[in-house]
Amino acid sequence: MSSVSKWGNLAQYDWSVMSPEFIILGVATLLSLLDLFMNKKADRRILAWIGFLGIIVAGYFVVRNTGQNVVSILNDMYRVDGFANAFKLLFLSGVAFVFLISLTYIDESKNIRYSGEYYYLILTALLGAMLMASSSDLITLFVGLELLSISSYILVGTRKQHIHSNESAFKYVISGGIASAITLYGMSFIYGLTGSTNLYVIAERLSSVFYDGFDFLVYFSFFLMFVGFAFKISVVPYHMWAPDVYQGAPTPIAAFLSVVSKAAGFAIVLRVFLISFGSLVSFDMETGQQGSVLVNTLSVYIAIVAAASMIIGNTLAMRQVNIKRMMAYSGIAQAGYLLVPFATLTVLMFEQTMFYLVAYLFANMGAFAIIMLVNRDQKTEDLKSFAGLYHRAPWMAIAMTFFLLSLAGLPITAGFFGKFYIFMSAIVHSSYWLAGIMLATSVVSYYYYFGVIRQMYMRPGKTEAPLKVPASIGLVVLIALVGTVAAGIMPDPVMQYIHHKFPLQQMFQPGGQ
Amino acid sequence: MDMIANAWLIPLFPLIAFVLLVAFGRQWKERAAYVGILATAASFVFALLVFFERFVEGATDYINTDFHWLTFAGEKITMGFEVNQLNAMMLVVVTLVSMLVHIYSRGYMRGDERFPVFYQYLALFTFSMLGVVLSPNILQLYIFWELVGVCSFLLVGFYFYKPEARAAAKKAFIVTRIGDVGLFIALALIFWWVGSFDYSEIFNKIAAGAIEEWKLTLLGILIFVGAVGKSGQFPLHTWLPDAMEGPTPVSALIHAATMVAAGVYLVARMYDLYLASPVATEVVAYIGGFTAIFAASIGLTQRDIKRVLAYSTVSQLGYMMLALGAASAAGYVAGTFHLMTHAFFKALLFLAAGSVIHAVHTQDIFEMGGLWKKMRITGPVFLVGCLAIAGIPPFAGFWSKEEILVATLDSGHIDLFVVALIAASFTAFYMFRLFFLTFGGQSRGGSQAHESPGVMTLPMIVLAVLAVIAGFINTPWKPVLGEWLTEDMTAFHGGTHGAGWVTIVAIAVSVAGIALAWMMYGRGKMPAEGTGGVLYRVSFRKYYMDEIYDTVFVKPLRAIGKGLHIFDVWVIDGLVRLIAAFTRGIGGVGARMQNGQIQTYGAIAFIGLVLLIVGLTIAGGYVGQWRTIFL
Amino acid sequence: MSIPVTSYLLVALILFCIGLYGALTKRNAVIVLLSIELMLNAVNINLVAFAKYGMFPNISGQIFSLFTITVAAAEAAVGLAILISLYRNRNTVQVDEMDLMKR
Repeated sequence: MSSVSKWGNLAQYDWSVMSPEFIILGVATLLSLLDLFMNKKADRRILAWIGFLGIIVAGYFVVRNTGQNVVSILNDMYRVDGFANAFKLLFLSGVAFVFLISLTYIDESKNIRYSGEYYYLILTALLGAMLMASSSDLITLFVGLELLSISSYILVGTRKQHIHSNESAFKYVISGGIASAITLYGMSFIYGLTGSTNLYVIAERLSSVFYDGFDFLVYFSFFLMFVGFAFKISVVPYHMWAPDVYQGAPTPIAAFLSVVSKAAGFAIVLRVFLISFGSLVSFDMETGQQGSVLVNTLSVYIAIVAAASMIIGNTLAMRQVNIKRMMAYSGIAQAGYLLVPFATLTVLMFEQTMFYLVAYLFANMGAFAIIMLVNRDQKTEDLKSFAGLYHRAPWMAIAMTFFLLSLAGLPITAGFFGKFYIFMSAIVHSSYWLAGIMLATSVVSYYYYFGVIRQMYMRPGKTEAPLKVPASIGLVVLIALVGTVAAGIMPDPVMQYIHHKFPLQQMFQPGGQ
Repeated sequence: MDMIANAWLIPLFPLIAFVLLVAFGRQWKERAAYVGILATAASFVFALLVFFERFVEGATDYINTDFHWLTFAGEKITMGFEVNQLNAMMLVVVTLVSMLVHIYSRGYMRGDERFPVFYQYLALFTFSMLGVVLSPNILQLYIFWELVGVCSFLLVGFYFYKPEARAAAKKAFIVTRIGDVGLFIALALIFWWVGSFDYSEIFNKIAAGAIEEWKLTLLGILIFVGAVGKSGQFPLHTWLPDAMEGPTPVSALIHAATMVAAGVYLVARMYDLYLASPVATEVVAYIGGFTAIFAASIGLTQRDIKRVLAYSTVSQLGYMMLALGAASAAGYVAGTFHLMTHAFFKALLFLAAGSVIHAVHTQDIFEMGGLWKKMRITGPVFLVGCLAIAGIPPFAGFWSKEEILVATLDSGHIDLFVVALIAASFTAFYMFRLFFLTFGGQSRGGSQAHESPGVMTLPMIVLAVLAVIAGFINTPWKPVLGEWLTEDMTAFHGGTHGAGWVTIVAIAVSVAGIALAWMMYGRGKMPAEGTGGVLYRVSFRKYYMDEIYDTVFVKPLRAIGKGLHIFDVWVIDGLVRLIAAFTRGIGGVGARMQNGQIQTYGAIAFIGLVLLIVGLTIAGGYVGQWRTIFL
Repeated sequence: MSIPVTSYLLVALILFCIGLYGALTKRNAVIVLLSIELMLNAVNINLVAFAKYGMFPNISGQIFSLFTITVAAAEAAVGLAILISLYRNRNTVQVDEMDLMKR
């Protein structure tokens, strides 16, 4: 190395690309210090606003990074590419929504005693998610995953006096722990076979290992990792924690888990499997044909998992009386739909996934904002708390209708095109059975989504008193509504934006030194 | 002004009305009605202008697809609107009926707490329905198609405090959705095979023979599945009679004149495709024919005035499908022509029925009677409606029904022709049974009936006039509508017309049906099927006559009707229930596993993992490989 | 005498399975947390064994295992903290009694 500095290689990296992460880290640290030195009785809402500001600034830096060439530092442990930027923007906007919802939710005398830690833990979770999107090394990916998970465990249990909150936090820890262990076990085999934790090196070496008679072990570790990640995205078979945890978690945290945490799970699934398994080619001895392992062998299993999630999620959601549990099952089903592009792997796979995630972000955040508002007002999480909402807050009811329609995948909402694109990918891939299950289960989903709509419009509520809507909730609902409808009428700009600003090909360009 | 190029304004008015009503409906209270009426009136005027311009200039379709909407798989998809003969006619029908229903509801819904909400829904519905009609491509149509379904859901469940209304709303939505799944699949396949959603593109490809026939057949059937759901065709018709739980003006607008006709419209719109696929048209014809007679025979025994009309709607929609299934210019014209006349007289019948319900506060026809003298306007207009639907010349229904019979006969389906004739006589019978029981004889209800206010009778009078004269637009000797409708369709050449005996037979069966109804229910008689056993004896002298009629005609008919009704309730609904139970069953199994024990969850995840690995072991032939890993 | 890598892997597998069995069957929440630690340690054995005897022996495996140990410690700490607050409210550490939310 010619230009020797005290720090060696480290000084040569362009650290500025990491500014979004540094900002979030800095703000999280700042918040924890402020929280420590602030008067115990002081209003902690200022912390939320500082955090919110930090998110906006970090978002600005992410936007500044978009459309640039790949920047990779630390031997691909951290890289900025289209894929990373897209997911980071998604996380940041999701957490911004969560902050706005939390402002109304938190009442220190009633639910969350120490709200300062609540805010900076969300930020550390966000940091973990961002690392998961932005790394191509198993070690950093794992650390990011755990940073997100451990922060979320605490956040779920943050209502310390509430037995449901305690229980769901503990269930989350146990599930998460087992899932981490399974993931790591899979990763350890991948490391053993390829001798590297760098995804690009793994991709290079995996093929030779595959032909040296270790093909079964490669599959084995794939499934171990996949089931471990299934926990994060809450798909079958590791989905069952979701309803219990959502129910016990504070509502904004349930929103966080259902959107940000789930999207982070998809980020790591796509990152790990597309890079390391994407170029793996199998050779059929009998026909003499070559084919991608991911497309030919594994896609069937992913499709089965996706289908099972749709079926389980939707049929169980039908039975729920607790709205948060219903949303959890709905989230399981949505994750199933989201796996379809990964199972079919068409050219537009990434755009389809991102579009669906954006649609899901708007619809779910908007829905959770209104759920939080209604539950707080009615002091129950029962579906019946929505009765007569249209007469109490017509705009909220109309907005909620749009969010539910979007989740159900009905027209003039973003969800329709999200499902439509995914459905087309299944048709083009000739997975007719998968397309059929998609349609059939989405018909089932109308049942429960319309159950809520029926409550809002067609049931007399206990009270007719107008529901007061705080400004922050109003803002969340407004943005989510505009996003849902705009992307539902004009999906193309969004698709084009994703396609041009976040090119997926960048993900396959190793950064090197 | 070039009206056609500005046709997009037509749906805009109701949309504006909807937004205004959502924003200010609460303050405006019952004045909200005027906003709706004004908006639909404006739409109607525009639609009429468009229609006349089309009539004068005719020829090529106006398609506006300037607006680049989305790019999909490299194909540009545009949003826009299209005006051709068919949808110019539909525009007039939809806006006219919608306007009249808006006016009528001013009286019918008076005093309802949620009066402005009702008008919001109506405006939104009108907007979406016009969107369906104007769409130049099938994706845009699908979007409005769904929106129409949502409005229907909201309006059927308007009286949400009634459990039946809630159940009916849900059923209406879910059952039509089953049909929509078919349409959605068709949509995806069309894009895959044609590379575009535009009708013109699709038809060009078909004309060029670029699509294999089996594909066309599949598409035709899938699209028809969508139409079956929306238009209440067998076996997805069950939602329509239940949907009568909604307010009566809604039944008139949505479940008689417009939305349910959307299925027929869709088949007519895609007619080029059906012409190219004999199998698909056969399916349309037979399902339509079966629905026509099936629903008519159920209508024979219903007691609820609105349910009789609902089954009659199902039956008439079957008629339209039957006509379209003839796969000829005559069939196309007959189907759309009947769509128009039916919109007028069925809306009329529903509004009149609403007026009756408004007056006597019951829907059971056996508790009515003697209203002819009390309701001097409703009675005659209802009679006009009955005559029109029964197919008595010169009323509108006669002309269109006769066209259908001729088209069916021309297409060589003798069996369907006979079915259509029988269904026609059933129709005449149950409509006049309804008429005699409601308006004839003495009052059985005891309530003080009165005529409805002018705001309600005026729309009925307008529709009654149309129900009389609308048929003359397309008479066998001067088929103005037919020539105009087929003007822009190159696939057609001239209409054909059958023998005069068809006309005579058609009139004869209708008259026979009416005569039978008269003998059984005329002059205040009450056969034993109802509550009025005493009244039945009044006609003692005709006793033996009645006995004979009873055994020869009525009992078998009633048995068939009842039998089909049982079939309807148990088999069709039973199937739906079975599917629901199956779904719930899966949910039940899932719920049992969801026992709250975190260790169960972990175990299931582990079992899932094992299953995946075992699956791969077996599928990939790795059964012997386990040793190599660890040993 | 050299021990083949498969022996280490077998030990790790056995440890992993014991851990999984414990985590899924033991009623005491503390033992469940410990069992998860066992599973993570099984991974560590794997990683360290591969770092020495794998296809491409190198140091990353040991580094990875250091990270795993750290993360496992953090996870255990959070798990125990949550368990304590649960114990304060419910007065139990029995996992099978934690089923207030289900179906």
